[in-house]
Amino acid sequence: MPALSAEAVTAGYGRSPIINEISLTAELGTITTIIGPNGAGKSTFVKSLIGILRPMSGKVKVNDVDITKVPGHRIAGHGLVYVPQNDNVFKRLTVRENLEVGGFASRSDPTARMGEVLSIFTDLAKAVDKKAGFLSGGQQNLLAIARALMVDPTVILLDEPTAGLSPAYTDVVWAQIERISNLNTAAVVVEQNVERALGHSDFVHIFVAGRNHVHGTAAEIAALDLPSIFLGRS
Amino acid sequence: MVLLAFASVEGGQGQGMQLFWLSVGFGLVTASVLAISAVGLSLQFGITNYINFAYGDFMALGAYFSYALNNELLHLDIWVATVIGSLGMGALAVLLNHFVLAPFARRFHKTFYVLIVTFGLSLVLLNLEYSIWGADVRFFNMSLDRAHHFGPVLLTTSQIIVMGIAVVTMLAVHTLLKVTRLGKSMRAMSDNTSLAMTSGIDTKRITTITWFISGSLAGLSGSVLGITEGNLTPAAGELFLFVIFASVIVGGVGSIYGAMAGALLIGLATEVSAAYINPAYKLDIAFVILIVTLLVRPSGLFARPGRA
Repeated sequence: MPALSAEAVTAGYGRSPIINEISLTAELGTITTIIGPNGAGKSTFVKSLIGILRPMSGKVKVNDVDITKVPGHRIAGHGLVYVPQNDNVFKRLTVRENLEVGGFASRSDPTARMGEVLSIFTDLAKAVDKKAGFLSGGQQNLLAIARALMVDPTVILLDEPTAGLSPAYTDVVWAQIERISNLNTAAVVVEQNVERALGHSDFVHIFVAGRNHVHGTAAEIAALDLPSIFLGRS
Repeated sequence: MVLLAFASVEGGQGQGMQLFWLSVGFGLVTASVLAISAVGLSLQFGITNYINFAYGDFMALGAYFSYALNNELLHLDIWVATVIGSLGMGALAVLLNHFVLAPFARRFHKTFYVLIVTFGLSLVLLNLEYSIWGADVRFFNMSLDRAHHFGPVLLTTSQIIVMGIAVVTMLAVHTLLKVTRLGKSMRAMSDNTSLAMTSGIDTKRITTITWFISGSLAGLSGSVLGITEGNLTPAAGELFLFVIFASVIVGGVGSIYGAMAGALLIGLATEVSAAYINPAYKLDIAFVILIVTLLVRPSGLFARPGRA
């Protein structure tokens, strides 16, 4: 039973679909990346899983529970959490309050969980009373990931978590993502950097023009003629 | 007050100081009413992201609810009537949001359209008040007020109670926002609605609760405005709304503590200035402060931290 399974999801804005019948599965303890040219529908796909957009057709299951029609605010409680690319922290709340809010959907003891999460993100532990808006961009992304982890999720969706970060911080963020997947969570990451995606993940999906063009293990995808796919020559 | 002001100039230093302290007392009372109303307006704005131009009418309607309970229906004590009338206005605000404002907000993503709807709602409510209670000035049924001296400041019993209500309300709002799960959810939603939703916050429920709190605070401030002014008219809330806007903007739009500080500043400034120049310029003084603040600190005194 996969941790996450999206079955033929079609979604978009208004009446015109942006993504067409995309299917994807993710297992616990693995990292799945989604790559593809700009406008391929990577972010739209992730938003349609988490309830920001509603699929026009298709199904989304977490731990085999159908969450396609579950109200958006209940999805986190089902173990599916999301880290957006931009505006991913509550800027006017402190680091501690951000984590508290992240734990609202959790059924377990939030105080104990916060201790666990802060033990992973040691930099944040030093800044718990700081307003999130005053953190650096990289620290904000780490806080966003930490907030999402507060519910001890089954699946964590990350939309370009390293966009705009320095190479050093990109390494830190990826190291954390690997650590999270080792804690028996399925990580699904939208990544614009193909090399990074292939280097860090177990499975890779390439979206092109709103469709799942090809998918496979990182090694299988690395063997493909990627420039042709990205430039539309295949 | 104008005559008094001239008299003080004639009367020399001692009387001048007396007048000053008298106006400080008035200022604190006005600031109390302003603080309650400004916080109610700010809370709702933070959550729904559009200005409720019917807020002044919420205030007046809440005051009329209290008036009806005090004078027409149950002949309740004024303070009991105020509490029940305010909560009644909170309940009405929830219904107005559910049946009028929320459907428009869902339909139009531009908040500008909803803002126009609140203008329309304002007209409807104002005329509703006129049709029920007429344009005549109404008076609360209150026991006679006694004056108390606090050093040079002179305050009546009801003015002291109003200031007490304001202090308790501010402390309650502070505790709500900083300590409770509901308040943290409200702040999170005010910061980033979509992120709040995906983090597990029921944004619809928070919106409903916020309208209840905002409506109740409108009703409370409208009632205590009527109590301190000694009378109420349907248009009283709308006139006051502009001073509330000034307080909210001076304090920094969206900041609850800014709204409190803005209320104190505007309340004191309008009343103290009224002791020395024509009180008809009260509103103008509020706007002079507003303009100066916007020139010196465009984002208000308590700008939201972490905003680009």
